[in-house]
Amino acid sequence: MLIGLALAAVSMAPAQSVHMSLPPSVTAGSAFSIPTAGSGKAVLYIVGQGQAIRRDVQMGEATMFPAGALYNAGEYLAILVNGASTESAGFYVSPAPQPETLGFLAKPSRLPVGIRGGISGAVYVFDTYHNLITTPLPVSLELANASGTMQSHTITTRNGVAWTTMDSAAKEGPAKFVARIAGVSSTRVIDQVPGDPCGLTITARPNNGKVTVQTAPVHDCSGNPIPDGTIVTFTETYNDQQSTVDVPIKQGIARVDMPAYPGAKISVASGVVAGNEIRWGGGK
Amino acid sequence: MRKFESVATASRPIPLSFILLAAVGVHLPLLLMQLPLKSYDTNFHIFFASHYVHHWFNPWNAKWFAGFSQTTYPPLPQQWVAIVSWVLGLNMAYMAVQFAAILLLVVGVYRFSMLWVSPRAASFAALASVLLSSECFLVYSAGQLSTTAAAPIYLNALPYFYDWIRYGKWRSFLKAVVLFTAAAAAHHATLIFGSMLFALPVIVLALMDRKDDENSSASALVMRTVMIVLLVGAAIAVVLLPFWIGLIRYPITQTPIPHPSRANYILSPQWGVNYFIVPYGALILALPFIILRGAKVVRLRPLLLGFWVTFMIGLGGTTPVARVLLGRAFEVLTFERFSYWATLLALPILGLLVAELVDRFRMRAIVPLTLLASLSCALAVAWSTFRPADAANFKVDSVAQWLNRDGHDNYRYITLGFGNKLSRLAIMTDASSVDGESNSSRMLPELTRYGGAALTSAKYFAKPGLDSLRAMLAHSDRYGLKWVIVRDPYYEPLLYFAGWRKVDELDDKTITVWGKDGVPPATPMNASQMPPHWQGVMWGTLPFGSSLLAILVVLIPEKRRRGWQDEDPSTTPEDLNSGRMIS
Amino acid sequence: MNKGNLLALVLAAATVVLVAVGTVWPVKAAVFYAGGGKEGLLRPSSTPEEAVENLGTQIRLLAWEKAYESLSNKAEFTEPEFLHDLTGYALSLRTYATLDSFEVQPLHQSATDAEMRMKLRWSTVVGTFQDTRDLRVVKSGDHWAVDWPLVKEQHVPPQVIPVNYLRWDVIYRGAGDDWGSQDVEAPHVRIIDMHPVNRAEGVVVMGELLNEDVVPAFVSVRATLLAKNGSPLASEGSFDMISHTLLPKQVTPFVIRFPDVDLSQVGSIRMQPLSVLVSASADPVIEVQDQKFNPAPGASLTGQLSNQSGQVVNIAHVLSTFYDKNGQLVWVGGQYIDRALQPQTPVAFHIAIPEDLAKKITNQRTVVATYSSGSSL
Repeated sequence: MLIGLALAAVSMAPAQSVHMSLPPSVTAGSAFSIPTAGSGKAVLYIVGQGQAIRRDVQMGEATMFPAGALYNAGEYLAILVNGASTESAGFYVSPAPQPETLGFLAKPSRLPVGIRGGISGAVYVFDTYHNLITTPLPVSLELANASGTMQSHTITTRNGVAWTTMDSAAKEGPAKFVARIAGVSSTRVIDQVPGDPCGLTITARPNNGKVTVQTAPVHDCSGNPIPDGTIVTFTETYNDQQSTVDVPIKQGIARVDMPAYPGAKISVASGVVAGNEIRWGGGK
Repeated sequence: MRKFESVATASRPIPLSFILLAAVGVHLPLLLMQLPLKSYDTNFHIFFASHYVHHWFNPWNAKWFAGFSQTTYPPLPQQWVAIVSWVLGLNMAYMAVQFAAILLLVVGVYRFSMLWVSPRAASFAALASVLLSSECFLVYSAGQLSTTAAAPIYLNALPYFYDWIRYGKWRSFLKAVVLFTAAAAAHHATLIFGSMLFALPVIVLALMDRKDDENSSASALVMRTVMIVLLVGAAIAVVLLPFWIGLIRYPITQTPIPHPSRANYILSPQWGVNYFIVPYGALILALPFIILRGAKVVRLRPLLLGFWVTFMIGLGGTTPVARVLLGRAFEVLTFERFSYWATLLALPILGLLVAELVDRFRMRAIVPLTLLASLSCALAVAWSTFRPADAANFKVDSVAQWLNRDGHDNYRYITLGFGNKLSRLAIMTDASSVDGESNSSRMLPELTRYGGAALTSAKYFAKPGLDSLRAMLAHSDRYGLKWVIVRDPYYEPLLYFAGWRKVDELDDKTITVWGKDGVPPATPMNASQMPPHWQGVMWGTLPFGSSLLAILVVLIPEKRRRGWQDEDPSTTPEDLNSGRMIS
Repeated sequence: MNKGNLLALVLAAATVVLVAVGTVWPVKAAVFYAGGGKEGLLRPSSTPEEAVENLGTQIRLLAWEKAYESLSNKAEFTEPEFLHDLTGYALSLRTYATLDSFEVQPLHQSATDAEMRMKLRWSTVVGTFQDTRDLRVVKSGDHWAVDWPLVKEQHVPPQVIPVNYLRWDVIYRGAGDDWGSQDVEAPHVRIIDMHPVNRAEGVVVMGELLNEDVVPAFVSVRATLLAKNGSPLASEGSFDMISHTLLPKQVTPFVIRFPDVDLSQVGSIRMQPLSVLVSASADPVIEVQDQKFNPAPGASLTGQLSNQSGQVVNIAHVLSTFYDKNGQLVWVGGQYIDRALQPQTPVAFHIAIPEDLAKKITNQRTVVATYSSGSSL
């Protein structure tokens, strides 16, 4: 309503001589004053980004605004209403130059090892009042793996934002992704997980009339152990029949008891990765 | 001299005020206990009323069937509940309107019976209506507010109808037209079938009575009948216009839903108890007398035939009569209301029996008759406890609160295992459902194609019900159906295998909430079925207006009517002399 | 007799006659409520067919006592055993199934005994299943009685089975967290195969979905058929023809049906796999044993499911993917198992395959989705 009133006042106002002096720029959250000329009482409105202030002023004196009065960066309109006469002028409130907080978006939170450019980080730099600081600032982005290796990029913000991509490491484990600027930092954790199983092999041995089939410790192509719970599919083919079972890896290996048919072929797969095949009773 | 006085006192009718007091004594406590809330349909009527409370002139209700029009069901009793709820709240408003209907029935039965029998017999008929088990069954077990509200209005209209066609009284003409219209605004089926089953005997009676009335020729009677039928038809067409428009645009083509009132009561004795023994009660003992006396007294024969046809239809699938007479409508209608109408038609003759027994045996008749009537009434009232609509009585407040918070109502929901609490929940929540209890209002193909009723009770409809449920769940994305609220673990395997996940537990884990990921928020649907604003205005104005007009018109004083009491010889049984009736 | 008496007599007689007619030749609705289907109502078991039909009607009416009493070999087992045979020993699809219809086929008959095949179609919450029993019917005096072939389920003796299974739990982002902080990533899933076919009932889109992540995923697949001009024709989901819970590196087939759509109308298909990170357990492990492809006629895949865990699986859903010699997907079929899977107790399954596709099939892959009652959130 105040904005509407102010705009209406501006639109109806006849051309007047200037009675107030506005600062060319104000920093968000800082104190400032607006001197006025003339005599009598007037009302000063400041209308801007999500803020509106009304002050009764004595013409001829400066109106003081304490620190924190205007805290949102952006264009403002000052309107001085003195009886029937009104005058208005715009001024700009700029973000504070000192970064206070960082908005840090790191994607994804989990990815397989060995992915080039698989990790992205975007940094948004804010001042105390959560205004986006649009002046260029250098931001340091560091991805530190558990093994101690580190990737580091320094990027200058553009329009308040800086972003980069990083590679996931060859070794699994959490990586600390840190964005840092002028003593302010924000940390995210990226979970680097093993990739697809690699070189999946099985062995079999008799067990009370059945055959126990088990994998060798399952690793990805970088040697990372495949996490427990990953499904390994065993398939046994015999006499035009088939038995299959999906088994989760436990303590690094998958194991299952299957029917023992002489000459049966037993194979293994996990996801789209196939392993070796053995023939029961006929040798490997 | 003393003996004469005694006979004269005993032969007087029971004062109507006393009968009304008896109705108050019997039904007011039961209604104050809110006993009908346990019935099948009460919550359904309250749900409709709750919509009228907030949207009097907008019959489009988004809470069921992804949006449906309440013009699919005549609104009068529910609108009265809505009006009274401003003072009493919805539950007690329902009880108040139902109570008014019960009182109106006493008056209606008395006035209707006066067409056929003596005032004394009519007063006994009216007294019997207080304890009538079919009425109690519909009120306390079935919860059929509309049927039990429309029938009394209809019964009250019939004596005016008779007066008009027999005597040509314009005042009666006006009252009959207005009351018939109000009855239709309360329940369409009562009008459609009542016109045949109730009005035809009255027309025949007027023709039979005409012999003694030299001022009325047969052609005049026929002309008057045609005239009033045309005018009432036109009035009903206008008052319920949105209903007829909806019916024409969207005729009921859905697969029939099984209803046990269509069973053969001998092959399925459990349904025989439910739909014959309980509604008729001790009246079954009087059936031979009703047939005998109705056949012997010439003047009662039209009534007897009306009763017999209604009785046969009310037997549902026990005889082929209903199937033959009603055709496909047999698969749509339910037959407990026909039994109710049959008992109403039998009441005048029953009143005659009671009057004779009381006059002849005094206390030796009064005590057993009172006992039998009370037991019948008690059985019908208690039936909702013996055979409750829901096995478990539970509150749905926690479910309503869950749906109303955290944006859950941005999506649609269904319940499973909630029975008639579905309506209660719909009253309390802002969320919309694709399910609902009004079978004739359903338009979604997943609901109409299979022959199941409400999804919440899908398992009771076996394969058709479960097919319907599966079809609805399969199209959940289409309807923004994200939540399934389950009170019966029977359904959990289906939800599990169909991709729903248990997301919350309520009421000490007796109710579980299942959600489906990736369902888009619900958007308004069925826009083509949305009645235009003018229909909403009509719906909010004319049906309710017709009832107000009926109240005003009925208040116009009536000249002393023609009277059965004028010792019409045609009421004398063929083989009985008149003196025997009071001997 | 005067007119009144005559009328009363006529009405009374008509009532009796009409009730008799309605009872002897009941209308369809009355037959339904009396427990009969198209097979009719109870009547004297004067033929083997009638004896079996009466038994079916009693089962439909849940009149277990009467059904048991009518059996000729009831001395061989108790009524509870008979009941468990029909409704299952443990909670399963059979427990709450209702008999939708049944069919009786004579196989052989002599003067004193007969063999009949009874196909019982049960309706359950997840669909219908058929139970076929070959019955011996024997003549006893002037009536016939059924010799019920009781199927006894193996009982697992009381025991303690130590379990050491894996479970994933998830802590999601809290409401008070910083807006830039990460939530747990949805599992990465990938459609590894997709194949639309035109069938009489409409278009069927089949495929396989892989969870390529290291965490469990709750998955579903949605497909939208697009016309040649790019406009959407229809959109449907996989519903229950998919295993919704996928453990890491697990593959599930899926089927999406588009009734009343012809493939010639379709220009392209938009597939939308959906995955959500959920709490899950790596148990139970189900072994699919002795799978045998039976070629046409009566093409099917048969086999047995063996529960390798200590936990009873109340309902299992078997989904099989069939491939041609080039490894291309040909068909996906499924069957719900009507009996509970007790630990280490094989239960048979049978998946029908369309005859016209059966000749192309050279290989198959089977997965099992399981439901155990009382699972927590």
